[in-house]
Amino acid sequence: MYDNPGNATDQEKFLDQSIRVVKAESFEMKRCLDKGKTMDALKHALQMLNEMRTSELSPKFYYRLYMDTMHELQCLEVNLIQEFSQEPSKLSNLYECVQYASAIIPRLYLLVTIGGVFIKCGLGSRKEILKDLVEMCRGVQHPLRGLFLRNYLMQCTRSVLPDFPETEEMLLSHNSTLPKGTPQLKPRDGTVEDTIDFVLINFGEMNKLWVRMQHQGPSKEKEKREKDRLELRILVGTNLVRLAQLEALTEEMYVRDVLPSILEQIVSCRDTISQEYLMECVIQVFADDFHLATLNEFLNACGQLQQEVNIKILLIALVDRLALYTNSSIEGQPAPTKMQLFEIFSEQATNLIKNRPDMPMDDIVALHVSLVSLAVKCYPDRLDYANMTFLGLRQVIEEKGITDIEAFGKVGRELTKLLNIPIDEYKNVLRLSELPEYIKVMNYFDYRGQCNIAAYMVQNMLEQETILRHQEDVDAAFSLISALLKDQEKQPESSHETEEFADEQNLVARLLHLIRADDVDSQFLLLNSARKVLGEGGRHRLRYTLPPIIFELYRLVLQFADMKDEDEKWDAKIRKMFVCAMGTIGALVSTAELAELPMKLYLNGAITADRVPFEDNHTVVYEFVSKALSILEDDVVDSRDRVRCLQLTVGTLLKTTHLPEENWQPLANQAVLAAAKMFKKPDQVRSLVTVASLYWHGETLETNGEKMRNGKKVVDILRKSAKIARECLEPLVQQQLFIQLLSAYIYYYEDKCTEINVDHIEELISRTQDNAVQLDVSAEADNLEKQLGEAIHRLQLAKIDVAASQVASPRTEPDLPQPPSENEGL
Amino acid sequence: MLVLLIGDFNMPHRSANISPKFRKLLVPNKMQHVLCTGNLCSRETFDYLRTLSSDVHVVKGEFDDETLKYPDTKVVTVGQFRIGVCHGHQIIPWGDSRMLELLARQLDVDILVTGNSYECNAVEKSGRFFVDPGSATGSFSVNKTGPVTPSFALLDVQADNVVTYLYRLIDDAVKVDRIIYKKSKST
Repeated sequence: MYDNPGNATDQEKFLDQSIRVVKAESFEMKRCLDKGKTMDALKHALQMLNEMRTSELSPKFYYRLYMDTMHELQCLEVNLIQEFSQEPSKLSNLYECVQYASAIIPRLYLLVTIGGVFIKCGLGSRKEILKDLVEMCRGVQHPLRGLFLRNYLMQCTRSVLPDFPETEEMLLSHNSTLPKGTPQLKPRDGTVEDTIDFVLINFGEMNKLWVRMQHQGPSKEKEKREKDRLELRILVGTNLVRLAQLEALTEEMYVRDVLPSILEQIVSCRDTISQEYLMECVIQVFADDFHLATLNEFLNACGQLQQEVNIKILLIALVDRLALYTNSSIEGQPAPTKMQLFEIFSEQATNLIKNRPDMPMDDIVALHVSLVSLAVKCYPDRLDYANMTFLGLRQVIEEKGITDIEAFGKVGRELTKLLNIPIDEYKNVLRLSELPEYIKVMNYFDYRGQCNIAAYMVQNMLEQETILRHQEDVDAAFSLISALLKDQEKQPESSHETEEFADEQNLVARLLHLIRADDVDSQFLLLNSARKVLGEGGRHRLRYTLPPIIFELYRLVLQFADMKDEDEKWDAKIRKMFVCAMGTIGALVSTAELAELPMKLYLNGAITADRVPFEDNHTVVYEFVSKALSILEDDVVDSRDRVRCLQLTVGTLLKTTHLPEENWQPLANQAVLAAAKMFKKPDQVRSLVTVASLYWHGETLETNGEKMRNGKKVVDILRKSAKIARECLEPLVQQQLFIQLLSAYIYYYEDKCTEINVDHIEELISRTQDNAVQLDVSAEADNLEKQLGEAIHRLQLAKIDVAASQVASPRTEPDLPQPPSENEGL
Repeated sequence: MLVLLIGDFNMPHRSANISPKFRKLLVPNKMQHVLCTGNLCSRETFDYLRTLSSDVHVVKGEFDDETLKYPDTKVVTVGQFRIGVCHGHQIIPWGDSRMLELLARQLDVDILVTGNSYECNAVEKSGRFFVDPGSATGSFSVNKTGPVTPSFALLDVQADNVVTYLYRLIDDAVKVDRIIYKKSKST
């Protein structure tokens, strides 16, 4: 198409040469203009324009030459206008003269320039001149040169095309704002219709030139030509922009003349690049209401485009644009306008897909993304529209026999986008259950894809606090996220070991707290039914999904605790809730094969039951604690875990106040036993110190709200503990244990435990001091030293305090029930 | 230097979410340290804390997964202050103030941060400062009578004093209380 494609350096060289000529000739041209020698100036201008005939330059470089030349031509134009606006009659001569220039390119450039000057000076018929110019340009059929020439034509005439209905008034106001010296506009002929004709002709011709580029030159350079063409597309598009800018262009004109003519040109050129670009141009440049008025025509044309045209991009661009527009402005308009929009799109999209059997699946889904987006955003009340779209897509998928769409594949990504739209827009996942086709489309995903969507739904519910108030709500939510609740056929073997699995189950667990019925009875039913569904989730899910149910049951029990007078069956109902909680924890033990988690949940149950004054609540407390203890006995193996679990048991027992002595004792005994049975000696010491507190702080039914204060038992246990500590052989560990024991002794002594023998403490202190000397130097040893000093200090303070209180009031402690058998098992 | 004290999320066990009001307040890179009293109960919560500050310290709550190996106690030095953190379920009897003091002495800290009471409070005792940031999610606890108020605390550590801000969500509005603790010469 251009003779010397060459490399960039060659191109630079050619460009340089041409520009040098342009500079030289324009210099001469301006000199002549200054001297008033217009004819000579034109000769130089012709010389300058000769350079535009070059065949050496690629589009990019030709464009640079064009820009430089344009600049010079503008100087010429301004000069001519100044000179001839006073005596326009002399212009005719110039026009005639230029006609005789031999080469067509320079001649036409000059004719266009002078034509522009004619119009600006108010000479001749504007309508005729424009028509003349646009016809004359047909003389250049070389694509590159023709395109630029016609672009020049558009530029030159930009400000003089007839547009708004030019009344005298408008003309006056226009002229009054002009700077001094600029020629004033005179009333002229021509209407906006003439402009439309003018631009449409130019557009048609330019497009033909542009398309022709594709078919010139050897076929092996096809790609390069396409690239060249893309660089030039804006020249063609400018015509459409110009049309869209016309202020006097009415919707009626657009519907009747403009769009049909444009579409005819686009469709008939049968060129993929041109069609794709120009259709998008039309969408982008013209006003929204023009599009709304011509939807059918436009979409029809889409159907007639080349098979290779990426129709998806066009439709999506149009739908998205109109969705935005419709949503923001159509509120007040009558419904039919809105309704039609969706129906037209939907129908046309379906036809397009039918007529293009080769359309890739991801494009088809992407199209539906736009449709659903339109349906959901612009017609929030028309769930049938959204459903219809999902139905349409499902049918296509079905026909193509596609299954198990990969979550992160091309199609999967579009499908994710599609399914997320109603979630994001409705802000209420429960509404999805009113789109029966939604789930069906979702089911075409593979396991991961289904889980991703379900997790996205749960996240949305958590974010929006979508309360599940009724059984239908729970059912709806559960059926939407069923991929997360139960093992799926397509589920890979090891999926439960992944991080995603854990994250998703955690989401489900959080969701369960959104189950909130209006009253206690219904809430219990909801929790119970949820538990049944979750119970089928298999052992890997239960550990996540059951604890929330149990905690919700405890919460419900405590909420119900104060309502004894309002419900005849209060007692039975409370008991039923506990039975349900206990059974649920049981599933964690038997099915999920867990130990610690259910144990902690049992302990929480014990405290809950202790706080609710239903009949024989102590039996339930006992049951919970004993179940926890038997897990500790049988199923907690690791010694550190055993220490911690025992600690929790003691903490829990100290929270209970309603166990009768006869029930409390076996539990406390069992705890002491477990402490003494710890595998490692230091653990025995620490655990014994912990369980000793049971006999000091513990409360039973019989202690009547007072602490147990069984000093004898406390001292027994501490003594036992101290004995074991002495058997520890590691000096540093032993020192830690000694100091812990000292702290415990002093704690009870401060608390006025009379059974504590000060001599005994002091003996322990001296033993600890001896030990300290033998310790290697370390930060921990320093710290222990500091703690020892602190302990001694506190003991002295306590001694003074105890002595003072003994003087003040001789002790009158009530006799406490003695534990049945001392030192049992120690 | 701002130090966020937060914990007892119990998510997903006992609560669905952190209130959006709190999430709006807790913005990344405002706080230099995050001290968490435990009971996060999921990796997601930990990840959330990591978005707030690069320096996050977590101790073990009774419902945290054992395999995560959070320590029982932790001491962090901020400016001139030694701050100890412990969840508190290890302190028997739970919430016993003398045992808490004992732990503060053992850890040799100026400030002891614990959870487990499900109530946001801060109090000075024998020259040391005790803070419980409460439950960030307002999650239910069988140990506490009545509803749990969502809360957390913020320490503004200055040269020789610490200003503590207690944030509570009451009737869906954030209420802030301010307490100043001055480091005593002896400790």
